[in-house]
Amino acid sequence: MLVRFDVPRTLNTLFEDFAVSELAPSTRSFPALDIAEYENETVIVAELPGLKKEDVKITFEEDVLTLSGERKPYEIPQDARVLINENRVRTFNRSIRFGHDVDANRISADLQNGMLKIVVPKAESAKPRTIEVK
Amino acid sequence: MGNNNRVALVRVGPKSLMKRPEGLENIIIPVTDVYETAEEFVLKLDLPGVEKEKINITIQPERLSIRGEAGTTHRDEASLLLREIGVKTYYREFNLGEGIQHQAARAEFEQAVLTVILPKTDAVKAKIISIR
Repeated sequence: MLVRFDVPRTLNTLFEDFAVSELAPSTRSFPALDIAEYENETVIVAELPGLKKEDVKITFEEDVLTLSGERKPYEIPQDARVLINENRVRTFNRSIRFGHDVDANRISADLQNGMLKIVVPKAESAKPRTIEVK
Repeated sequence: MGNNNRVALVRVGPKSLMKRPEGLENIIIPVTDVYETAEEFVLKLDLPGVEKEKINITIQPERLSIRGEAGTTHRDEASLLLREIGVKTYYREFNLGEGIQHQAARAEFEQAVLTVILPKTDAVKAKIISIR
C-alpha cells in the first residue's frame, strides 16, 4: 500500500483508556444536551452537527418537550472506500419534562453551527415574584 | 498545538481516568468519517459549536492536525440543570503517508461538519490504475 492513512497510535491509546468516557463522543446519548435555567425562561441546547433545520422536529405536549429527527448519511461516491466510520446514521429522540408552566406559544428554536438552541419561556405563573412586605 | 501536547497524549493510564493531563482536561476527539476515492482522501469531522474562524488545520508532510475551539453556550446568570456539552476543545491528528498533494489540500465547513479534502499525487493515482 502506497498511502498510509492511520489514526495515530497516540489516539488509539487514548480511545482504549477512555473507552466509555466522554472522550469517545459517539458512545454518549445523542444529541448531547445542556439545560440552562434563567429567571424567565429555560434554554435547551442540543449538539446536532450535520443536521439542517428540516431534519429536526420539536414538539411540546403536556409539559413534555420532545426533540427528534434523523441525521442523514454522507453522500459518498460509489467507488469510495471507507477508512473510518464513526458517524453512524441514526434517528434520535429525547424528551424533557417541565415541572413548571410554560408559555408554549412562544417557544422558539434556532440552529447554528450545529447547535440547536430552544428557548422555552416560563408562564407568568411560573416566574419568580418578589413579594413586598407591607 | 505543538509537540508538547503530542507527548502528553502518548500515554494516559487507565487509573488517571478522572484526572487528565494538564491542558487537556477538555479535549474531545471529534467523531470522524474518512473515505478514499481514486483521486483523493476525504475527511469529515463533527465540530458542533465551533465557529469557522476557530478551526485550525495544520498539514505537514506526515501529519494532519485539526483543532477547533467551541465557544461558551450560556449566559453568565444561567443555572445549569443538565450539562452534557460544556466548553470544548476538539483535537485530532492523522498520520499521512506519501502521495498526498499537500499544497492542494482544501477544506469546507458546513452544518458544523468540517470536510478536509486531500488530493492524491499523480504518481499514486497512476499506481492505483496500474494495479487494476
